[in-house]
Amino acid sequence: MPTSEPSGTPALELRALGKTYGRGARGKRAVDDVSLSVRHGEVYGFLGPNGAGKSTTIRMALGLIRPSDGEVRLFGQPVSDKHALRRVGSLVDGGTFYPFLSGRDNLRVLARTQGHDGARIEAVLERVDLARDARRKVKGYSTGMKQRLGVAAALLDDPDLVILDEPANGLDAAGIQDMRNLLRGLAADGKAVFLSSHLLHEVEQICDRVAIVHKGKLLREATVRDLLDHGQALRVEAEPLDAAETALQGKWPVQRVQDGLSVQAPRADAPAIVRQLVEAGTDVFRVGPDDQSLEEIFLTMTRDTDA
Amino acid sequence: MLDAVRAEALKLRRHRATWLMVWIYPIAFTLIIGGVLLYGLFAAHGPAGPPQPAAEWIQDSTMLWKVPTSAPGRFLIAGFAAVVFAGEYGWNTWKLIIPARTRWQLIAAKWAVTLGFLVIALVAADLITLLGGWLGSLQDGQLPAGVTLAAVAEAHWKAGTHALLPIIYTIAFAGLFAILTQSILATVILSIAMVVIEGMLPLIAIFFHGYAPALTSWLVKVLPLYHMANLNAWAKGGAAIPFGPNEILSLSWTTSFWALTAWIVAAGLGTQLRFLRQDLN
Ligand SMILES: Nc1ncnc2c1ncn2[C@@H]1O[C@H](COP(=O)(O)OP(=O)(O)OP(=O)(O)O)[C@@H](O)[C@H]1O
Ligand SMILES: [Mg+2]
Repeated sequence: MPTSEPSGTPALELRALGKTYGRGARGKRAVDDVSLSVRHGEVYGFLGPNGAGKSTTIRMALGLIRPSDGEVRLFGQPVSDKHALRRVGSLVDGGTFYPFLSGRDNLRVLARTQGHDGARIEAVLERVDLARDARRKVKGYSTGMKQRLGVAAALLDDPDLVILDEPANGLDAAGIQDMRNLLRGLAADGKAVFLSSHLLHEVEQICDRVAIVHKGKLLREATVRDLLDHGQALRVEAEPLDAAETALQGKWPVQRVQDGLSVQAPRADAPAIVRQLVEAGTDVFRVGPDDQSLEEIFLTMTRDTDA
Repeated sequence: MLDAVRAEALKLRRHRATWLMVWIYPIAFTLIIGGVLLYGLFAAHGPAGPPQPAAEWIQDSTMLWKVPTSAPGRFLIAGFAAVVFAGEYGWNTWKLIIPARTRWQLIAAKWAVTLGFLVIALVAADLITLLGGWLGSLQDGQLPAGVTLAAVAEAHWKAGTHALLPIIYTIAFAGLFAILTQSILATVILSIAMVVIEGMLPLIAIFFHGYAPALTSWLVKVLPLYHMANLNAWAKGGAAIPFGPNEILSLSWTTSFWALTAWIVAAGLGTQLRFLRQDLN
């Protein structure tokens, strides 16, 4: 890890970043006041449903599009600083390549553009398991192969910060597993990884921290652990349900779900909940851990702001 | 910067568009001249005509350089430039290379490669033509007296350098159109339209001259067409061409050179400024 900047400088910092596409009444606010920072050695997930503004944010971070407000800092430098940008590896749109060139030649072109002779080409091809297909034209690559070549391209110049837009798109289960190991390996090497996804469970296991975005706004930034703790809930099945809901309301946050109630409470509260329900004269069929995943929390969170 | 040019060359040297619109020159000239020479070998030789004057022979040997300044030649150049500059939008590959280098260098590398490839192809085709002409003369007898290496070299150097500016001019505008329209097809259409309109300008000028003579002659002086024609005339005969129905416009080689250069610089700056501020989604 280079030490050209003072230690503690985030690899990536977004400061009140905003982007409006178009002008005037037809303007579309795609990203609004997003601030976050990604440190060396961590994998940071940027999560949001379709159209949340993830790709727009990532394009601004890579200098592909100009922010309307705020700024992007790479290693403490503005994104216009080419030395800073050269330390960033990126994957957008599932890997964009010259279709008429082979996988290897695409990496050669990229290496030359980056200003080196591509000594690492064979190594990165090996790393993403594309060495065998490197002579074939990219035109004939499958989605997953393009995605892997995209990762190879992102790693080509041994970057200190890797920015990936939806890296798991188009990958099969084994591919996602490989990707996960690869990204964790990068973080272990002290590199910073910033990735976007619209599927929370995908990043649940990879990321140290996540930011949840919706409609261009950052809703929440937390460690995955915090989010999961926040999401700790018990599933209660009781009859009549209305009475059960009334009995628990006020003491715990309660929410109606398909076949019962979801109660925001730790496991330790279960006996108290049962007691409460019995006292209210309801029949308790089941109290157990609510298998509410991050996915559901995420859905709830983004649905709430739709109102 | 050299690395950016090498990357660009690596990308394009074997692209189909490069074969079709650049490497075609040496290939086509080899085939044509080879065919003519073969025919000469087997065809019955008639009585030898009067020997060609040396100056004419030399002038004929530079004919290749008329191609890139002709309308079809300019279409080919514009087509190739369209692929070089607008291709990245279609392939969606700006995203791959923009984070790797400053934008102005990426554009500069494209200019360098477009021009470099064309010059290589044209010089090769020129040498093939020259060789063909020489072999052809030997077939018929001998070279006209007075055809010396120095004279040939001078004529070819002159023809080549005079073609350079119109080639650069075509590339500069095709590049500008490509960055503005972000489409190969639109670039080609605009470039063709430009050549066609330029070709019609004398007629248009004559028409409008009756209504607004001052404005018309000012436009003729300012727009690139006259200067292109003028440079060509200077290149051929060493004299300015007159322009305008009543009024004789006759500008020096340097005036036209600088006027065209100004247009090229303007197109180049426009390309750079537009690209610098462009969002690549
Ligand atoms: N070039 C553009 N012009 C106008 N609007 C755009 C443009 N690009 C994106 N948008 C709009 O900005 C919003 C955010 O788009 P963005 O692509 O950043 O979302 P995303 O989070 O990446 O979504 P997805 O998960 O579908 O990839 C969307 O409403 C989209 O329609
Ligand atoms: Mg996206």
